[in-house]
Amino acid sequence: MLTTPLARLLVLVLGALLALAAGLASLLLGAAEIPATTLVEAVLAPDPGSTPQLILLSERLPRAAIAALVGASLAVAGALMQTLTRNALAAPSILGINAGAMCFVVVASAVFALRSPLALVWVAFLGALAAALLVALLGRERGGGLSPVRVVLAGVAITALFVSLAQGLLIIDQERFEGLLLWLAGSVAGRGLEVVTPLLPFFLVAAGLCALLVRQLNLLVLDDEVGKGLGLRTGRVRLLAGAVVIVLAGGSVAMAGMIGFVGLIVPHMVRALFGRDHRWVLPGCVLLGAGLLLAADTLARFLMPPQEVPVGVMTALLGTPFFLTLARRRSLTP
Amino acid sequence: MHRLATTLARLLVLLTACCSAWSPSVFAEPARRVAHAFGTATIEGRPVRLVTLYQGATDSALALGIEPVGVVESWLERPMYRYLRDDLPGDVRYLGLETQPDLEALAGLAPDLIVGARYRHAAVYPLLSRIAPTVVADNAYDFEALLALMGEATGRQARARALLDAWQARVTDFRCRAAATLGDAWPQSASVVSFRADHARLYYDGFARSILDQVGLRRPDGQDGSGWGIKLVSRESLPAMDADVIFVFMRDDPAVAELHRDWTAHPLWRNLAAVERGRVYYVDPVTWNMGAGIQAANRLLDELYAHYGLDHGEGARC
Amino acid sequence: MTTPRADLVWRAAGGRLSLRLDRRSLAVTLLLALALVASAGISLSLGSQATPPAAVLEALLFPGHSDIALIVHEIRLPRVLLGILVGACLGVAGLLLQGLVRNPLASPDVIGITGGASLAAVSFLALGGAALGEAWLPVAALGGAALVALAIIALSGRGVTPARLVLIGIGLAAALGAATTLVLVLAADTTAMQAYVWLTGSLYAAQWREVAALAPWALLGLPLALGLARRLDALALGDDLATGLGTAVRGSRLALLLLAVALAGSAVAFAGGLSFIGLLAPHIARRLVARGHAALVPVTALVGALILLHADLLGRLAFLPRDLPAGIFVAGIGAPFFVYLLHRWR
Repeated sequence: MLTTPLARLLVLVLGALLALAAGLASLLLGAAEIPATTLVEAVLAPDPGSTPQLILLSERLPRAAIAALVGASLAVAGALMQTLTRNALAAPSILGINAGAMCFVVVASAVFALRSPLALVWVAFLGALAAALLVALLGRERGGGLSPVRVVLAGVAITALFVSLAQGLLIIDQERFEGLLLWLAGSVAGRGLEVVTPLLPFFLVAAGLCALLVRQLNLLVLDDEVGKGLGLRTGRVRLLAGAVVIVLAGGSVAMAGMIGFVGLIVPHMVRALFGRDHRWVLPGCVLLGAGLLLAADTLARFLMPPQEVPVGVMTALLGTPFFLTLARRRSLTP
Repeated sequence: MHRLATTLARLLVLLTACCSAWSPSVFAEPARRVAHAFGTATIEGRPVRLVTLYQGATDSALALGIEPVGVVESWLERPMYRYLRDDLPGDVRYLGLETQPDLEALAGLAPDLIVGARYRHAAVYPLLSRIAPTVVADNAYDFEALLALMGEATGRQARARALLDAWQARVTDFRCRAAATLGDAWPQSASVVSFRADHARLYYDGFARSILDQVGLRRPDGQDGSGWGIKLVSRESLPAMDADVIFVFMRDDPAVAELHRDWTAHPLWRNLAAVERGRVYYVDPVTWNMGAGIQAANRLLDELYAHYGLDHGEGARC
Repeated sequence: MTTPRADLVWRAAGGRLSLRLDRRSLAVTLLLALALVASAGISLSLGSQATPPAAVLEALLFPGHSDIALIVHEIRLPRVLLGILVGACLGVAGLLLQGLVRNPLASPDVIGITGGASLAAVSFLALGGAALGEAWLPVAALGGAALVALAIIALSGRGVTPARLVLIGIGLAAALGAATTLVLVLAADTTAMQAYVWLTGSLYAAQWREVAALAPWALLGLPLALGLARRLDALALGDDLATGLGTAVRGSRLALLLLAVALAGSAVAFAGGLSFIGLLAPHIARRLVARGHAALVPVTALVGALILLHADLLGRLAFLPRDLPAGIFVAGIGAPFFVYLLHRWR
């Protein structure tokens, strides 16, 4: 763990550089060859007639933007959830938040033919909220606390609920609902910037809230009693942080479907570097989360070309060994 | 007369099914033994109460001049594809989805022949064969083998032979006319593409592909991969579709239309050889992907004749 | 709770095996058994073909004289029996796992046993395993479930603590789910559709050979679960107390886990990836009988069988002529009910 602010700053810059490198790789590598010079030209001398530039702008850029946003959001949501529940295994995918949002979006778009991106974003928030409430309800111990294993089990049960409802639709009418499979698998490909724009205001508000809540979050890591002693209104902080989680996780699902494990792995890696101070943890999560998903998505293009592997499958396969290592640890506090 | 036949058939079924006893033939003809994907079926006489459990079989039955008493629902244009609907008897029984046809209703129909496919009915086959003699097609889209099998099973070998010969003659005619009319522009390579709600599919194999192979439309380079084909999720994969000619089919659905608009507006689409030469043909999804019988094959060939302008007897005589 | 009870106590093998059943548990068990018989009767009489109960009875007793013998004997009866066996096995597997990890949210699907079977089955279907013959599908599924169980045990290390066991199962389940999705994305439409049906769980086209193949697992496994009831009661008290009472905690856990895998794996192998029965049935059972696993095992088995039987009846009849997989109804009705139960149970 890094202790001096200078070392932390240096590592943060390094993380930013890594994320940038992953972003460049995501922009330049893929089915069509894009030379690095095209990138420079696209910025300095835009030419609407140039096909490489158009691929860059119409395909790669939205894809990289979505991957970066989703990765960063899920990582931050995971970090917040781990702090809120004091549970090392908490993450949007594990506690069923992603599945709730996915199920609502799928039902709204496939059954009720809802197509406006903004409306779907709200539906996703609603689904994430429903799942979060259910998990909080089911995960609560008799005494009122949230037991780590119980919360995780509740999350898995909730995930099973939403996923089996969505899968039922597929059996009833495969022709109409086949698009659902890619929502289940999670994918950042083939979507345009129009799915990002309606979310930007929400994400900005969420980022602002995170910045405001940093000190309180640091206190929340401590015991509730200590926090209260230091003048922390735990109820309000939890509510606000919870709202941020809903927006970040729900928004991610609205853009890219169910992408698991980013919210679990990244906060742990970041804490191993920076400790528990949210002033460092949250920016670290943004950079590392974006970098990880960009890298995973770039890799997913090359496993079995020209077929692309859904990025959600990639993250799950990468994340499982990590989850298992965590699960074998003695203590489950983050 | 009809009722008598039904009663007789039902009696026969029950005798063979329940008591598993060998019953002497009531018909003069000797029983035929028909080999199929899961063994050999023993069929007596010319079956009249036929149940077809997948779309290709329904198509082929009607082509052979048999009206099935039970069929499964189609995947599009429910309950039955329009091109088959009129030929079906009004009182035909729909047995539900192809994946789980209603077995009781099937048994209640007292069929004297059931036609299934290996990819769907492997698990139910033992039960089906207890209800009635059952023949199973090995391959989901080999309509010629299916027609031959059903011709044999229904005692209409001659009719099946004639249909197959007519098909072969049409294929030869098409190849000849295409070569004569198109000259250097023949043979061509062709891609089979389908747009879906959130991706596009490129077919390496399947019903349409097998017919294109027959009529001499080659597979483009790079499309010789194994398996049914691939799903393309990003427009930058569009060049993978490139060929001299592209056949496109899609469902009538707003989400599909939207994706199609997005993809075909892209410069990569406009740069495809087939698009530049105006050789993108929009074809019927039922005919190209769903029908999978001899009638669908002939309709597909009709479309090919039309697209290549070979149907007016123009160009060289063949 | 202090009223004196007249308990029935049954002992065998020098007191090493003993069952205690109070009156209430006995009454509940008998009532459920009656309900199961009645439901089976209803299930046998209802279908897309109208069959009066008298004719059904005749078909059952004198199949030679009945013209609906085929429908009753070959189509409905095996399906009803398979539903009962599968439901009972899944329910009891869930009960064992919940007792084992001391958590009411554990179940075969949650800890990856179903996931292992699913990945194996879906790969079998998509990668052309059908060429081997359909009979190998259950074998593949059972193998998948067994492999996951071994992986859980291996990864849990020497401790096999409940929390670790369940978390490792969850992690494996997630990876298996992702791999299953990948296979589905790559699969052709025709096989993908078969795979969805399998994943949802269906009793469609159940035949005698399947009933015969599952019966030994159920007939051995369920009494064995009853035999392990005392160990479950001891484990419920916590590791320290259980050890104090002379229970070999680690050995008991391994035995319970293996039994649960055998029950769930064999059930899933023949009915597909049914979820929620393993969660739901033990919960309902606990609300019906309060004390001890000796009563809970039979009650859970009966409840599990009842759930699946009715879900399948609904799947057969609600959308005629379509016959829909029972799993849709188990999830659709069972899941909300499960949420309600959990809420009340706290």
